[in-house]
Amino acid sequence: MKKKILVVDDAIFMRNYIRGILHNSNFEVCGEASDAIEAVEKYKQLKPDLVTMDIIMPRIDELDGIGAIKKIIAMDPQAKIIVISAIGEEHLVNEATNQGAKAFLIKPFKPDELIKLLKQIFPD
Amino acid sequence: MMDKNYWELFFAESEEYLRQINNCLVKLEEDYSQTEALNEIFRLMHTIKGMSATMGFNELAEFSHAIEDLFEALRSGKQKITPDIMDTIFSCIDAFAILLEEIKAKKEISIDVKDYICRIRNIINKREELSEDLSSKGDVTEIDVSPQEVEILGRKIEEGWDIYKLKIKLVSECLMKGARAFLVIVRLKKMGEVIKIVPPEEELKKGNFSIYFVVILATKEEEKVIYDELSQILELEEIKITPFSAVPRKENKIKSPITTSYFKKIQSIRIPVERLDKVMNYVGELSIAKSRLLEVINLKDKSLLEGTVSLIERLISSLQDEVLQLRLLPISYILDAFPRIVRDLVKKSDKPKSVEIEIKGSEIELDRVILDELGDILIHILRNAIDHGIEDEQTREKLGKSRKGKITINVSREKGQVIVEIIDDGKGIDFNEIAKKALEKGIISEKEVTSLDVQKVLDIITMPSFSTSTKVSDISGRGVGLDMVKVKLDALGGRLNFESELGKGTKFIITLPLTLAIVKAMLVELGQETFAIPLMSIRESIKIEGGEIKTIQNIDVIKIRNEIIPLIWLGRELAIKEEEELNNKLSVVVVEGKNKSLGLVVDKIIGEQDIVVKPLGNIGKKVKGFSGATILGNGRVALILDVVNLL
Repeated sequence: MKKKILVVDDAIFMRNYIRGILHNSNFEVCGEASDAIEAVEKYKQLKPDLVTMDIIMPRIDELDGIGAIKKIIAMDPQAKIIVISAIGEEHLVNEATNQGAKAFLIKPFKPDELIKLLKQIFPD
Repeated sequence: MMDKNYWELFFAESEEYLRQINNCLVKLEEDYSQTEALNEIFRLMHTIKGMSATMGFNELAEFSHAIEDLFEALRSGKQKITPDIMDTIFSCIDAFAILLEEIKAKKEISIDVKDYICRIRNIINKREELSEDLSSKGDVTEIDVSPQEVEILGRKIEEGWDIYKLKIKLVSECLMKGARAFLVIVRLKKMGEVIKIVPPEEELKKGNFSIYFVVILATKEEEKVIYDELSQILELEEIKITPFSAVPRKENKIKSPITTSYFKKIQSIRIPVERLDKVMNYVGELSIAKSRLLEVINLKDKSLLEGTVSLIERLISSLQDEVLQLRLLPISYILDAFPRIVRDLVKKSDKPKSVEIEIKGSEIELDRVILDELGDILIHILRNAIDHGIEDEQTREKLGKSRKGKITINVSREKGQVIVEIIDDGKGIDFNEIAKKALEKGIISEKEVTSLDVQKVLDIITMPSFSTSTKVSDISGRGVGLDMVKVKLDALGGRLNFESELGKGTKFIITLPLTLAIVKAMLVELGQETFAIPLMSIRESIKIEGGEIKTIQNIDVIKIRNEIIPLIWLGRELAIKEEEELNNKLSVVVVEGKNKSLGLVVDKIIGEQDIVVKPLGNIGKKVKGFSGATILGNGRVALILDVVNLL
């Protein structure tokens, strides 16, 4: 069984990039979300095995990336969330870790960095 | 080329050399001018180096080469010995022993040999700087814990948590060091309690460190689980997990990486060729006797037949003795490690103490199975003596005692038993203190407080979780000490006793059977069956009249010399018979049970005999009350009663 991944990013470019990486490997992108609210909704619906979450997204109804992580973890404490962030956002990454994010990647990242991380999270 | 024989020999010999090196080091530490000890260590290390290189163990060879160089510098006088250097040497030897053990067990190597070699080279070259990759500021490889933290750690240990030190190294190109490290910390917090982080968490989160950080973790998870969890995190170049012992250190000294275990299971022993020749001779004679037996049978001459049988009997018993001898090893095999152990224990003690150790009778031989267990048993008692017995130097001086405490280990042989005495000249066991504590813990009643005798005190101090020390200490504060000793001794068929005089000292006396394979036993009859009771646990055997039996609270008892002894009707207990006949005289074997004496009622006492103990195997193991079986002269099987665990 391919692991199901939900890709959350406000930038289409990033979503396509991540989808492209995953497409060429043994993972399946089961859904995409472009903001925090949609992310929480899709998580409920799709029950993915893992979420990649852009940490900086436009706030919608007071909900940002961190808020989305918080809500998802509250729904499913076992949720596996990878934070996608950029240099200079260390405090946000720490906050995400605090909320229960499992790992993080820093943009720009190469395809094999993401794959390596996923393989570490799903050893089999 | 890596023949299995070479392999075993290499490790057996290297371990032996390391023991000798340790003993030389203890001597050297007492007196730096001991050139003999210096030369000896140099020679031994040189030998190990050669052996290691031959075996192709490059790490061992390089490591021993460095140590050899250091000793060359020390004995030629190029480098003077200092306490710091002594500590480095001790930790290097410990690391070497661990490395050896890991290679032997084909485990992953946890010792950073390069780091140790670097430390040694720094001493030789009198360079002060640390190894290159550890020298930048803000890095920590060692960790100091405050007294408060020691207390927390102590409590955790008592509650059964394990304490680990984790040294984490990030990859040098790591972009978000703070976030990466914090990820590690959050994961660790899920697996236990993070006691300390160096640098502190706030600094860590901001990334104010080079690439190393250290965490002290109290956890109930296994090392491997922690490791596996952390290996899921990216950008960690190295995760080093070692058991951590909470010793506050003032100076920044090098500590040994892992708490060393002092004893290794004896897996191979060296036997003098003459002994093997002797065994072979008996086997030869036996086969001649067998041929003779075949001839004699045809002759049908009864007296000749009897003669031949008794010859075979003699040969078998000689062979048995010889083979038994092969199993024996001198007790020095473990006692040789004790000067070093005492040194380490004294160093760990939180008060300034000094202790000298004297060992007598280390040439006495014991079954290797017993030796395997005895080491740990003795360490527990030694720990107790050093931690609770021997006073600190100042107190001793005030009391008019010599500043240096003394522990004597005395081994002697008595009939089929070996007696090991551990004597300290410390403060002795305070019965009142024990009574108070036992009362507090509800172990004894108010009434019993005034009537504590040696036996009762022994029962109390060997109870699990009883510890008279109010403070937890690294040495023996875990409260698992004497109870372990008791359990282990019971399993070996040994016994623990003590004598103590307040203010003068304590003497623990361990009685052990010489061997586990053959024991002296009393054979008794019950109905159609024969049972064996090990003589070690028998106090006496008597005959009583049915009328002597009284009943107290539904329990049948008899009175022997004013002592009330509960009776166990063995026949009924083992479901061999329904009713006992009370008209005849009854045979009672009085045995030392778990906490008290018991009288076992049997049909008939057959007599004493040497029996060969056979384990019961998997099915029999589940049957309570028997420790093994033996085959009798008539070919029938007799079960051996496990008196300690009987009821």
